[in-house]
Parts: sequence; C-alpha cells; structure tokens
Amino acid sequence: MSLRFLLRQLARELRGVAHRLVAFVLCLAVGVAAVVIVAGISSSLDRGIRLEARNLLAADLAVESSRSPSDEILAAIDALPGSRRAGIRELVTIVAAPRPAPHPDSLAPRPDDPPRTLLVELKVVDGPYPFYGDLELDPPSALAPLLGDDGVVVAPDLLARLGVAVGDEISVGGEPFTIRGLVLVEPDRLGGAFTLGPRVFLGAAGLDRTPLVDLGSRVEHSVLVQLPIETPLETLRAHAEDLAEIAPRADGYRVETYDQAQPALRRGLERLERFLGLVALLSLLVGGVGVGQAIRVWIAGRSDAIAILKCLGLRPRETFLLYLGQAAALGLLGSLAGCALGLAISAALPFFLRDIVPAELLDPWQPMALLRGIALGLGTTVVFAVPPLTQVLRVPPARVLRQNAEPLPGTRAVTIACALLLVLGTAALAGAQAGEALLAAQFTAGLAGTALALAVAAWVLVRAARRLPRGAGGRVWLRHGIASLARPGAATLAAIVAIGLGLLVVFATQQVQSQLRARMEAEIPDDAPSAFFADVQPDQWEPLAELLERQDASAVVSVPVVVARVRAIDGESVAELVEGAGGPGGRRWALTREQRLTYMEKLPEGNRIVASSAPRAPASPPAAGPSLGDPDPASGDSAGSVAGELWTDPERNELSVDEDFARDLGVRLGSTIDFDIQGVAMSFVVTSLRAVDWESFGLNFFIVAEPGALEAAPQIRIATAKLPEGSEQRIQDLVVSEFPNVTVVLVKDVLERIVALLRQVGWGISFLGAFTLVAGLVILAATVGVESSRRGREVALLKTLGMRRADVVALFATEYALLGLVAGIVGAIGGGVVSWIALTRGMDLQWRLEPAAFAIAVATAVALSVVAGAGASAGALRRRPAEVLRSE
Amino acid sequence: MVLDEVSLSIGAGESVAVLGPSGSGKSTLLALMAGLDRPSSGQILYEGREIQGLSEDELAMWRRRNVGFVFQSFQLLQHLTARENVLLPLELRGDPAPAHAADELLEQVGLSDRGHHYPTQLSGGEQQRIAVARAFAARPALLLADEPTGNLDTRTGQTVLEMLDRLQRRHGASLVLVTHDPATARLAERRVHLLDGRLVREERDERPERAGRARQAEPPDAVAAHGAAQLRGGS
Repeated sequence: MSLRFLLRQLARELRGVAHRLVAFVLCLAVGVAAVVIVAGISSSLDRGIRLEARNLLAADLAVESSRSPSDEILAAIDALPGSRRAGIRELVTIVAAPRPAPHPDSLAPRPDDPPRTLLVELKVVDGPYPFYGDLELDPPSALAPLLGDDGVVVAPDLLARLGVAVGDEISVGGEPFTIRGLVLVEPDRLGGAFTLGPRVFLGAAGLDRTPLVDLGSRVEHSVLVQLPIETPLETLRAHAEDLAEIAPRADGYRVETYDQAQPALRRGLERLERFLGLVALLSLLVGGVGVGQAIRVWIAGRSDAIAILKCLGLRPRETFLLYLGQAAALGLLGSLAGCALGLAISAALPFFLRDIVPAELLDPWQPMALLRGIALGLGTTVVFAVPPLTQVLRVPPARVLRQNAEPLPGTRAVTIACALLLVLGTAALAGAQAGEALLAAQFTAGLAGTALALAVAAWVLVRAARRLPRGAGGRVWLRHGIASLARPGAATLAAIVAIGLGLLVVFATQQVQSQLRARMEAEIPDDAPSAFFADVQPDQWEPLAELLERQDASAVVSVPVVVARVRAIDGESVAELVEGAGGPGGRRWALTREQRLTYMEKLPEGNRIVASSAPRAPASPPAAGPSLGDPDPASGDSAGSVAGELWTDPERNELSVDEDFARDLGVRLGSTIDFDIQGVAMSFVVTSLRAVDWESFGLNFFIVAEPGALEAAPQIRIATAKLPEGSEQRIQDLVVSEFPNVTVVLVKDVLERIVALLRQVGWGISFLGAFTLVAGLVILAATVGVESSRRGREVALLKTLGMRRADVVALFATEYALLGLVAGIVGAIGGGVVSWIALTRGMDLQWRLEPAAFAIAVATAVALSVVAGAGASAGALRRRPAEVLRSE
Repeated sequence: MVLDEVSLSIGAGESVAVLGPSGSGKSTLLALMAGLDRPSSGQILYEGREIQGLSEDELAMWRRRNVGFVFQSFQLLQHLTARENVLLPLELRGDPAPAHAADELLEQVGLSDRGHHYPTQLSGGEQQRIAVARAFAARPALLLADEPTGNLDTRTGQTVLEMLDRLQRRHGASLVLVTHDPATARLAERRVHLLDGRLVREERDERPERAGRARQAEPPDAVAAHGAAQLRGGS
C-alpha cells in the first residue's frame, strides 16, 4: 500500500470527523494555549530585556559596589578611550513634608502636628544621566539643571502620599529642598520591581548638604560608563574584564556590561518560566487524558468501518497508521486552535500585568512560542492517542459478519510499548518544558504518583458503586445515579483523574498563597516589633529612646552595628575563596557582602546555641578547622564541647555565627575570621554556632561578636520597637522631624508590599492552574456529550418506565456529583500535600490545615462537574421517549 | 462446535450456494473461507496453500489480492462516497488506473450518476449494487456473498442477484453464496445444505451452459475447507 493511498484515504476519513471530535480539539487547545502563553511571555520578556539592554543599564558598562569606588577604579575608567562616566548613589531614607508651622522648641515638637514623612528611594546623580534610554521628566528638561543645588525631582505618587505639590518644599535629611518636577519614566528602574518607596532624585551638591551619607548609611554606588558607539562588544567585554581586575568581586564590586542584560532578572525569569512551563504542561497533559478518552470513544464507534477495511485487505498496522494519522491531523488542528487561543489571551495580558511588567517588554507575537505549542500539542496527541489506538489492532474483521465477534487477542509487547510511551513521552514533554533532566524526572514521578492515586480512588469508587446493594430502599434516582458510575464504558476514571489534577494545581496555588499571606499578615508574633530604626548615630540613641517611650512604644531594643568586611578565613584570603566559590551562589554573596556585626553579652530571644567549642579542650570537636593547629599545651582540664555557652575563651576575640550563614561562609567552630573594620584589621575565632528564629522579626545578626573588641570601632545603632497601633505614621513623622538622618521602616508597609507582589504572582499561577481545571471539565462534558445518544435511549427508557424528568435530572446530578466529590477530595488532598511541600520544604514555613478552604475546593469540584455533566446531558434530557424508541 | 466434519472443495469459476437454516453454520463456513475466523481444527486450502496458519497481516494481504465480499448489511464505509467505496480495493491493490476501473464498474451496476453520493443517500438496492461493484473491483478469484438479498425486497434482490451472476461470469470468479433462501440459491450451479454444522446434502445443476463452463475451467481446487470449526458466537 502506497503512502499516497494512505494520505488519500486519510483525507477521506477526516471528512466529517472533525466535528465529532470537537472535544479532542478543545482538550488539546486549552493545554496548548497555556503552553503558548507561558512560552510567549517568557520569550518576549527575554527578548525585550535584551533589546532594551542598554537602556535598562542606562550605560554600556557599570561598576557597582556598596562603598565609593576607589580613585584607582575611576582613573582606570577615565583611561578607557573615549569614555564618559556618571556616578550614581542610591539610598533608602525618609523625607518629610514641610513643617506646618515653625516650632519654638525643636527638641519637643508638638505631637499633634508633626510633618508627614515617607520612606523613599533616593537617587543622586553626579554627571550625565542616562547615557541610554529616556529619563522622562515633567517639565521636560535635563535632570541636572532642573535639580540645581536645592531641588528634588520626585515620582508622582510621592505628591499624594505627602500631601505636597510641585513647587513645595520637602525636607531630605533635615535639609529643605524644592520639588522642581516629576520623574515619569526612569530607564534603569524596571516597572513592578519591588521597591520600598517612591523615587526621589537629588543633586550631588544637595546630598552633600545633608548628613545622610554618614557613617553606616547603606549607600549603593554605581559608576555608569559610556563608550564610543562604535566600540565593538568584544572590546567592551575586555574593558569590563580589565576593570574587574582592579574592582574584584572579593572587594564587593560588580562589573556589568549591557549585553549581560540584567543577568539576575533573566535567571529569575528562566526559573519562573520552567516552573510555569510545567504548570502549563500539566494542563496540556490533562488535555491529553481527554484526547485519549475521545479516541477511545471514537475507535469504539468506528469498529464497523475498521472491520470492513480489514476485510477488504487493509493490514492491521496500516489501519493503525491510518487512524494515527487522523489523530495527528486533529492534534495539529487542536494545536493551531490552542495557538490562536493563546495568542488572544497573550494579547490581553499586558493589560493585566501592567503593574508587574512594562507593556513595552511584552510582544504577544512570538513564533518560537507558537512552534513550541504545536510541537508539544502534537507530542501530547501521539503519547495519549497511541494507547487507545492500539484497539484498532484488535478489531476483528469477522465483525462484518457478526457484530459480537471476539476481539483479536492483544499482545504483551503492545501493552508494554504503550506503557513505556506514556511514561517516557511524558518525561520527554516535561524535559522540553523544564530544560533539565532532574526537574523533568521529579515532575513526571510526581505526576505519575498523583494520577495513580486518582485512578485508584476512581477504581475504588466504581467498585463500591458496583457492590452497592441495588435492591429496595433509598431513592431510585440515587441508586441509579450511583450505578451509572459503574456501568461499563463510563468515563469515570478519565474524568476523575483530569478534574482531580486540575483541582490539585489550583488548590495548591491557592493554599500556598493564602497560607503565605496569613503567615505574613497575622502570624507575626504579638511582641514582634512594628518599626525598625536604622542609621541612628550613637549619641542620638538616648533622646530617640526617650521620644519612643513618651509615645508609648514598647519592646524598645537597640544594638550597636559595626560595618566590616571579611578579609580572610583561616588565613585564606577572600579573593582566593571567591575564586573557588563557582557561580554567584550563596557562598560568594556571604563572603563579599558588607558584614554587619554587633556585640552583646547575652543572646536575644530566638537564638539558640547549637554548637560551642572550648578551644583548650584536648578533644576539640572534629569540626574544628585546620587553623586550630595551634593548641595550647597547657590545656587538659576543660569540658570539651559545651552547648549553650557563649564567650568561653578569655584569650581571644570570639564570634557566634548563625549556623546556615556559617555554612555559606565556610567556617566551622574554631575557624578564624579576619575582618577589615573601617580600615582596621581585626581577627576573631568562631566559638559558637547559633540557630536563629528569623521569623521573630527581632534584631538578629548573622555574626555576633564578644563585647570588648568592637566598642572603639566606628559604629551606628539600629533599634526596633513596637509602636502603638494606629500611631505608626505619626511616630515616624515625629522621629524624622527630630532626627532627620534616621530611617524608619514600618514593618506593616513592607509586608503589605510583599503581599501585593505575591498576590500578583499567585494570580498568574492560579490562572494557569485554571487551564488544567478547564481541561478536566471539557473532558467530562465531552465524554458526556459523546455518550449523549446512548444517554438519550437511557432517558427514553427511564421515562417510558415512568420516571419523571426531575428524577432523571437528579439521577444525572448524583452521578456527576459523586464523580466531582471523589476528584475533589483526592485533588484537594494532593493540592494540600503539594502546598505543604512548598511551604515547609521550599520556604521553611509552617503549614496549617485550612478545613474551610478544603471544603470549598471539594464543593467547587462537585458543583463544576454537576454543571458540566448535566449541561452536556441537556440534549439527552430533552428527547421524548417515543422519538428515541422509534429510531431504534 | 459450530461446524463438524465439513469437507468442501470449490473449483475455479464455480458457483456454490451454501444453504441452511439459521444457526446451521453457514456464515461460520464463509468466515473461515474468507480468513476472518480461524478453525479450531482442520485445514483451509487456497490454491493448495493453507491459509489458517497465516498471520493477520498475511491474511489481509491474501484477502486484498484474492477475495471480494458482498454482505447482507452491505458494509459500505459510511464516510466514503459510493465511488470511493468502489475505488478502495483498487487502490489497495495498487491499480495503476483505479479511477477508470471504478467508473467502468459503476456503469456496469448502473450507478454512474450516483458515485458522488454517500451510502446513507442511497437506497438499499443501490447500496448493495455499490457493494457488488466493490466486490468485483479488484478482480478477485473468489467472491463470497453472505445473504446478499437478505435486506432487500424481492424485486430489488432479483436485480442484485442478476448483476452478481453477470459479473461473476464476466470475471470468471468462483462464487460462494450463503443463503437460507432456495430461490436465491438457484443462481448457483451447485448447492450444499448445512444443518447443525454438518453437510447433509449436495445438488448440482445440469444446465448445459453452466456445466460447459465448469468443464472448460477444469480447475485445481480453488478453495477447500475440510474439518471441524469450533467457533463461539458462530451463526
């Protein structure tokens, strides 16, 4: 038989098939749409970021650090041929609206009308800015002339929140500045990124007037560099490498070129794409279950035709190919429909995502995403169509003579091949979405486990329904509804698996989101501080504490902070350690960050010593590092390792380190750490490791030093307090009017911002999860629809036998409600387990059973399946008995 | 045990009617001869070769090359037009000019103008004439007909039978006609009677034109079924 014949026959067979397999096409389209949306957004974001790369950096090259770049670096930048540079400093601080009336006594401001204050992100530009991209200001102007020496340019939302207008004066760091204009678009500030407050631009001369860049303030520095436009990328990269020699990572510098285009953001996007891609794939796979179901029904209805074809001499495998070809053609149709659906939704997305993603970065037309959708759609079709299509092989040609001819015997090889295809095919699809084998394998295993659990639940339900006594007692419709579940050929299994999986995704997302939110909002410990005070100078602490006390603040705690940098661990320099630290992981961050040390006699609550060393002990713990190779010969009487004790060595400067941070740093009990403290070198030994309960929101430090060593070092204080509810803003206003350099962070504000961001991310996941649920419902409605002629006969018979229409409706409702109930319970349990894993394993948070949410999820599954099932049975319900019976 | 100790040889070009009441095993015998069922014991030989041991694939190929069918319930493919139904065996055999042959056959059964209709748009008689055209399309050496007039009224049935007869003679095919109706069976030159799975009686026409043709052919056996068939669900 020629390929040409096969194709011609394929074309003939397809006529009039498509409309019968609407369900097939729909199931697939829903899943493909989800895949296309995720792939489309992610590739359009990635492309947008790369295209806009120069604008997003606002320069060709940037050197970033948390302290002022050295003169050597600036000289090296200036030495680059044709270079121009601009210095950027960013810090978080508080600004205040103008004082309503001058106060006679500035030490005791009238508590009733302090000026309103607001946490802002301050940006100070020294030089031309931006080199690329547009800084849109209102009035349109260059930044520097608008700022002058005494002006600020602010984000529009600051005006409303402080109750000021352009032309008004605001106080920054206690100094007055005039609002000269508004900043509408800032090229290197991505929309939707998490911020602590609105942007305020200030001139360099203006900043010098304020005491803000005082010791200890957290200032992020970056030097933006522009090179002549004709500079090739290779040269740019070479320059960046040369600069990285002088500005090494070990000293806390980062050299970025525009072509790297927000590497952290892109990495984050990639991770998100993988995760969302798998969520989308899940809806496609559920669609695949529907495809399999549709094929099963279709093949059953085609048995006569298949028998005739075989009788005419079509070989079994040719018949199989013929039908596989039809399935593939329908798969293509479904995939194309999915692409269209995905495109339509993608086109509307920029509107819904406008708070997270700048619209100009989103372009719905992403050919690669469409190709991915078609490829995965076809792959899913084949994986799920082949197992039911093998039934074609078993159709007996003798059916042409006898309707009840025995099916041909199946072979074990075919069964095994189908099982392998299902598992490996799913894994391959997951691999295509996840991009890495391990994640794909985990996904496949998890999915297989869940599907199996759902299938077992469905099987148990069917068995139970079959075993149920059919005798007298109970309502007729109830008994028949239950019995319908168990009738041969019912779609019970596929529908339960599909709806269950869909519910699982939606419920898991909902649970993670709501529990996370609950933890953040309500579960902050009662005694947790509600405000942080940063950048407090040592001599300011006493009057600030008095002010807080006057305002009824409770739980006021303050600790000194000394800023330091790690120079070496156990004699090995940070530069060497970073070299071996590989990628930009936790270790590199831990080693190169600006360390904030404190010193205290006793640890605050929420700290527990998990390991402690007495260095003189002969049997020092095996964890002791090599630097301990200098044991005191006079030792011999000590107690070895003692848990729970601090500061046990009178001879040396001791440290207590958070155990997780110690792992990141690569230090153990007995390790020595050399610090550079504002230019002074000091050496410490780690004598205890702590477990810290970071959820207490108290003042906690990775590294705590023994008192006595650091008192003389330059330092600032930070403090926490619990402010009376409702007066947080007023106290912030009061504090700032008196101590303009102090930064107040209100915990509630920050949490609200985080929660808002999480809500948007969660919305995205739920949205994709809903696709899975919809795919499940389509399957249910479709199988019911396919069966509707059989159902029609059934209804006619029941009516003939004297059942009322309402009874028949109740019968159907019972059947679908039970189906939804089982799918709902198993799906919700699965979702609960997934959310439990995400919260406890992924985020180290507690998980709590939310019975109400659980019940709502199950009830939703029941309601949706009754609506979908009964809706699809409407046609059958309408038919009159006579008309059906006559047509038989 | 549907068939028991049945031994039957059919010569090339010969026409044989298998007669018997419902449940006598006629259709089972036909299914065995067509390679649609397998006997529990015994042999089915076609041109001296056993066919009961062939695989499903080999049986399909054998049917494609050698066998044509006419059924009581027509068994046309509903999603193909009448002409496409006739084309199908030709295409399966790889006929170089299937369209020409199909059109010729449609003309011979008098349905040239209805080729583009779907089976549901045709009357029963028309459907069976299409089925007859399809059966002869691939020029099979063996034509199997199962109650070809069972679903037709007498007059239409008669037309179809005449058509079957005419085409059989033109193509020189062997014909096995299964029927319970003695009138229909008279089409065949030889009639065998089945009862409860056993061959009970055989009669042969002595009409000159039939006998003459049979002698001219003087064949090796085209089909020989011999032995017992145990088939569940047999007719």
